[in-house]
Amino acid sequence: MEIPDTFYSKDEYVETASGNKVSRHTVLCGSQNIVLNGKVIVQSGAIIRGDLANVRAGRYCVIGKDSVIRPPYKQFSKGIAFFPMHIGDHVFIGEGAVVSAASIGSCVYIGKNAIIGRRCILKDCCVIEDGAVLPPETTVASYMRYTVKGTIEGAQGNPYFVPAAMQDEMINYTKSFYEHFVRTPAPAS
Amino acid sequence: MSFMQPSPVKYACSCGILNPINKLFFCRHCPKLRCGYCVTHEIESHFCSNCLENIPSTEARHKKNCCANCFDCPCCQHTLSARATTVPVVRKSEESKDAKKPEDESGDSPAAASTPPTPASSKPSAVPTTKKMYYLSCLSCRWTSRDAGIPDQGVATGTWPDNECLYQARFNSLVEYFQAVVLQEKQEKMEFMRRKTPKQHKFPSLTDRTGLTVSLIRRQMGWNDKTIPKAKAVITPAEATAEVEELPADIFTEPLNLRNVTTIAQRHSQPADQPTAVSSLYPQRRTLWIKRSLRCRQCEHNLIKPEYHPTSIKYRIQLFASCHVPEVVMVRCEQSLASGKSNAILLKFTNPTMYDMTIRLLTTAPTEDAEPAAEGSRIKEEPVSSSPHLRAAGITLSRQNSTREVKREVTDVSNAEIVPLESEFVLSQRDDSKEFDEYVQLPTEEPKFIVWRKGNKVLIRLQFTPAEELPANTDVVLGFAMQYTYVNTVTNAPEKKEPTTHALYSRVFINAGATEQKAN
Repeated sequence: MEIPDTFYSKDEYVETASGNKVSRHTVLCGSQNIVLNGKVIVQSGAIIRGDLANVRAGRYCVIGKDSVIRPPYKQFSKGIAFFPMHIGDHVFIGEGAVVSAASIGSCVYIGKNAIIGRRCILKDCCVIEDGAVLPPETTVASYMRYTVKGTIEGAQGNPYFVPAAMQDEMINYTKSFYEHFVRTPAPAS
Repeated sequence: MSFMQPSPVKYACSCGILNPINKLFFCRHCPKLRCGYCVTHEIESHFCSNCLENIPSTEARHKKNCCANCFDCPCCQHTLSARATTVPVVRKSEESKDAKKPEDESGDSPAAASTPPTPASSKPSAVPTTKKMYYLSCLSCRWTSRDAGIPDQGVATGTWPDNECLYQARFNSLVEYFQAVVLQEKQEKMEFMRRKTPKQHKFPSLTDRTGLTVSLIRRQMGWNDKTIPKAKAVITPAEATAEVEELPADIFTEPLNLRNVTTIAQRHSQPADQPTAVSSLYPQRRTLWIKRSLRCRQCEHNLIKPEYHPTSIKYRIQLFASCHVPEVVMVRCEQSLASGKSNAILLKFTNPTMYDMTIRLLTTAPTEDAEPAAEGSRIKEEPVSSSPHLRAAGITLSRQNSTREVKREVTDVSNAEIVPLESEFVLSQRDDSKEFDEYVQLPTEEPKFIVWRKGNKVLIRLQFTPAEELPANTDVVLGFAMQYTYVNTVTNAPEKKEPTTHALYSRVFINAGATEQKAN
């Protein structure tokens, strides 16, 4: 199914020179610590906590509505420390997701309302189902699917859980999402 | 998202099952579509999904397909992680043994601040030093290895004790015995083969040093024949007993606390002893995962072969259908669907290959391989043709192949009448560099049904009429056969190097959506 066009008004979104489209209705704390590498869409209601640690997002990422990107912390005997968070290219973060992962690889799909606990490691080409809850320090390997039930399924070459061509699928999906995320045409007057 | 939602466009696999294109593979040698059921699944490599370590297959077998370092929680089957605590250690042993050891959690528990000062500091002679001790903790259900009564370890990995189940010794002796039996049988067989075919020597000696003469001489000397030592029968056969232990008396008197009883899932995750009490749960070694390679059952060529390394996402061989077969994407229907009302659907075709394709849509599927499908029989069988050089070599493959491919007829029938397109159309080749070029629309003569064309993509308008007798709220399915030209760069014959062009068919079914309620 072709992705239908999503329209946004000129007032709502800011477009940068590198093609990032960031909504004005977002909370970007510590924006000097947030790096968006180009063609990233940050939709309305999203919160990125750059004040805690650096957040880097690769190209063609989609950060969905009302999602929270929060760098992970670790508690030591002498207080806590926050760690920077890296998000790869072509990562889709669904609506309402709360992400506290240590690193997210490329071509990762995170479903709606998923909760990624702190210091989780999501390798390239993995899928987190809608509404799944990852306990802290979970590793999801490549081509694995983390289900709502809390199990990990799949693995490379298993065609039933994550498509074998996950990389191409995600590249196509995030690129076409970007292309179909267009400004509302100005009324002809 | 095409793989998170059911796709409206489905392709019929060569076995007759409908699948979205991302679940299909394309065998270049056959050349046909293959789904997960038409391929053999083989183990490519073993790895642990938690520590991402590649484990060779012999080692995996030796470790019973479990990771050496990672453990699963016996309570919730999530991965356990090692937590460090600092324990004060007193150098001199004059410290009283029963002094309470305060624990300073360096993990995530906020209890660290509330620990009392160490009693060791009150004695000036003893120098308090701290030592790191580790325990396993589940961050999902808060189970710790202390709950199982496992003492904390000085090293984070590698020293955790395995729980020996009751039958471990018996099981080990059985394994040992049967391994010896197998070894003996193998030796006997080899000995037999050696005697049957005497070793051909370059210079035949007069006294045959091996084989018959040796046993002859031995017999003359009164020794018995040289025989392989028999496997020692060390095992005692299991005996059935009629005596069953009585239930303990307190089972009738004590109230049952269901919190202390394990669930079925917990018992199954610990198959050796299957404990009934929560207190006897024990960390379980994490089972390994495999990377699979898929092989076409008809021609035994690999369709997918992933790289060995667990963190690699690349393939050495990848024959995805989406890289070879034109992709059909449903864009939208022009009007709301109603039975008997003519409508049009917009379809986007994408050419994923490096060669131009000519596509023709046929409303009736051509009969496969120009052989008329038998009317009565719904199932058609096709014998497996092994690749010719394999058959010539007389290699019998130990792999279990289904000897016959069972073909199902596609049951999903179209319930709409499609107006055929007046002509075929060309999909130009894929060119990744075109993405960055300025797109210039060339004024070309296009057939009327082509709405738009850009690079390797074409949007067409296909007219159709849902069947008259369709009730409301039923899905309209458009079925057509797509004939496309496919340029095959590999050929089965090695002497022919130039790519060959095939005309291939794919049956495509599009679920256009449900019909609307009829307006009164």
